[in-house]
Amino acid sequence: MKAHNTLRWLVFLGAALVMNFPVIATFVTAFKGPGEVMKNPSLWLQAPTLENFITVFTISDRLNIFAYLWNSLVAALVGSILPIIVAFPIAWAMSRRGYGRAVLFPLIVNIRALPLIIFAIPLYMVYSATGLLDTRIGLGLILAIVNLPLTLMLLVNAIGEIPLELEEAARVDGARLPRMLLRVVLPLCRPAFVTTFVFGFITGWNEFLFGLMLTTRVAVPMTVGASFFFASSGGGVQWGVAAAVMVVAALPPLLLGLIMYRRITGSMVAGAVKG
Amino acid sequence: MAEIRIENLAKSFGAANIIKNISLTIPDGDFCVFVGPSGCGKSTLLRLIAGLETATSGQILIDGRDVTALEPYDRHLSMVFQSYALYPHMTVKENIAFALRTAKTPEAEIAEKVAKAARILRLESYLDRKPAALSGGQRQRVAIGRAIVREPKAFLFDEPLSNLDAALRADTRVEIAALHKSLAATMIYVTHDQIEAMTLADRIVVLNEGQIMQVGSPRELYQRPANVFVAQFLGSPKMNILPARVADGAVALAGSAARLAAPPGWAGLASVGLRAEDCTVTAPENGVLTGTVVLCEYHGSGQQLLVDTAETGRIAAFTTANRDLGAGNRIGLAFSTDKLHPFDTGGTRLA
Ligand SMILES: Nc1ncnc2c1ncn2[C@@H]1O[C@H](COP(=O)(O)OP(=O)(O)OP(=O)(O)O)[C@@H](O)[C@H]1O
Ligand SMILES: [Mg+2]
Repeated sequence: MKAHNTLRWLVFLGAALVMNFPVIATFVTAFKGPGEVMKNPSLWLQAPTLENFITVFTISDRLNIFAYLWNSLVAALVGSILPIIVAFPIAWAMSRRGYGRAVLFPLIVNIRALPLIIFAIPLYMVYSATGLLDTRIGLGLILAIVNLPLTLMLLVNAIGEIPLELEEAARVDGARLPRMLLRVVLPLCRPAFVTTFVFGFITGWNEFLFGLMLTTRVAVPMTVGASFFFASSGGGVQWGVAAAVMVVAALPPLLLGLIMYRRITGSMVAGAVKG
Repeated sequence: MAEIRIENLAKSFGAANIIKNISLTIPDGDFCVFVGPSGCGKSTLLRLIAGLETATSGQILIDGRDVTALEPYDRHLSMVFQSYALYPHMTVKENIAFALRTAKTPEAEIAEKVAKAARILRLESYLDRKPAALSGGQRQRVAIGRAIVREPKAFLFDEPLSNLDAALRADTRVEIAALHKSLAATMIYVTHDQIEAMTLADRIVVLNEGQIMQVGSPRELYQRPANVFVAQFLGSPKMNILPARVADGAVALAGSAARLAAPPGWAGLASVGLRAEDCTVTAPENGVLTGTVVLCEYHGSGQQLLVDTAETGRIAAFTTANRDLGAGNRIGLAFSTDKLHPFDTGGTRLA
């Protein structure tokens, strides 16, 4: 029994290593000095150093990683919160009143199937005409559109799962639509809000193409900024620095996912109606 | 508190006519119970009154005011749902206070009213819990509490006791009756439990397939059912219906040689109803009907017999338990005409 268990864990460990190899390799490389990167390809560190990270945070005269992080944070927050605010009332109307269920809902959901970059040129022109080019809000707005379909889909489902009697009870209790939505439906959608926020934030944070296209100096997000580090010395790629910058860039969404994970799952309607 | 009047109300879902032209007046302060078999439209009728369904035709008047087109929040009723429908994210206290907060009642008054409702329903020690942490009976009391903190024009209850165990059901029934007395409120109560209906109601409305079969006090309905449906719906075991006719001024039961004097107005007789407790067991030769006992259930206060009569099929009878009448005994059943309920061919009461 015990040997059996040990074997099982060894297999799991092996699989985890193989599947996460690129991530682990990057993580390890981030701690190798410039000399070691060229000589030692193994995962075993000979002389672990924080030199790369210090470089990443200090060559801020040209490449300001704090600005990139801030830009990504603002854009990803706008891009994940705005669609929730917009989609919530729409999702209620679709779920409860059936508005747009036949055409609009499938249409919006299928936006996800389109490579959004086909809108690149008109979008660029609209952005430059409206002054949204190279702004954090502008980037956030386009991320909001990227996130809208999934948000809407999750919220439509979440509202559909709230027993209708709860809304009916609220209406009999004298609540008009706004109060019913805010006091009864909204709180019960909290798990769905957390889920859509986490997914939306991660999607927004990791988005690259629009970041590349719609920003130049002021609002460059972390993903685009990270690529600048690859050739920061002008000559060949500094792999250690590149790896360190990727670790820094990957950390915020990773932490968010870990912190919010327990809140994503689980339903809120326990005890509402009898089974 | 208010009088509720329903005039020619109809409701269909697509092609299905669920409520068919119902007219009914529920006086102010009345405890009115809707009973009927499952699917007959009780909940639908209640939801129409609450405004949760829109009427296909007809009117609903509360205190003389036509509310047919009004939203539920403008009708000032309170309702206890068949499924409780508690707000799961709110504590018991917040659940009960929700309607008062909605009406912008001052906080001091809310606290006072919530405390009072909690005292009546014995919920004081659960006020800070969420519904998920309550038992079925406690949830149900919260649902009632949510309704009674307000001063609505009427209370609507949709089978509020249907999921409770027997003891809790009996207790809560008493609580609701007491509540009705102390609030003197108009209440409409849906159930398909006839004990609840009989014990609680001032007035029972028997529904079947979206139509009213009879309206009356429990006593009226039990003693003078207007038709075979009501006769068999109320009372346990259900009323025996025996084919019969009137010949030469006497009632003749199918297959029985006995003749009973026919009261006036029984001319169109097609069948008679006979309650189990109105039968007396006699020697076979003295009975109006004779038969063999197929089943004998001892109930303590009496025994319930199922008697197979050659003439009219199986008849339920309820008698004193002083003689053990096991299966296979041959007995006679006697009853007088004034215990019989006369029905015509359509099943409508004759006199
Ligand atoms: N929204 C709806 N759409 C279509 N049919 C419906 C709808 N609501 C109810 N019905 C039908 O109307 C009929 C009456 O339903 P209702 O819920 O009023 O019955 P009930 O008397 O309350 O039954 P129960 O005792 O089982 O609760 C049923 O046949 C049901 O299928
Ligand atoms: Mg029902």
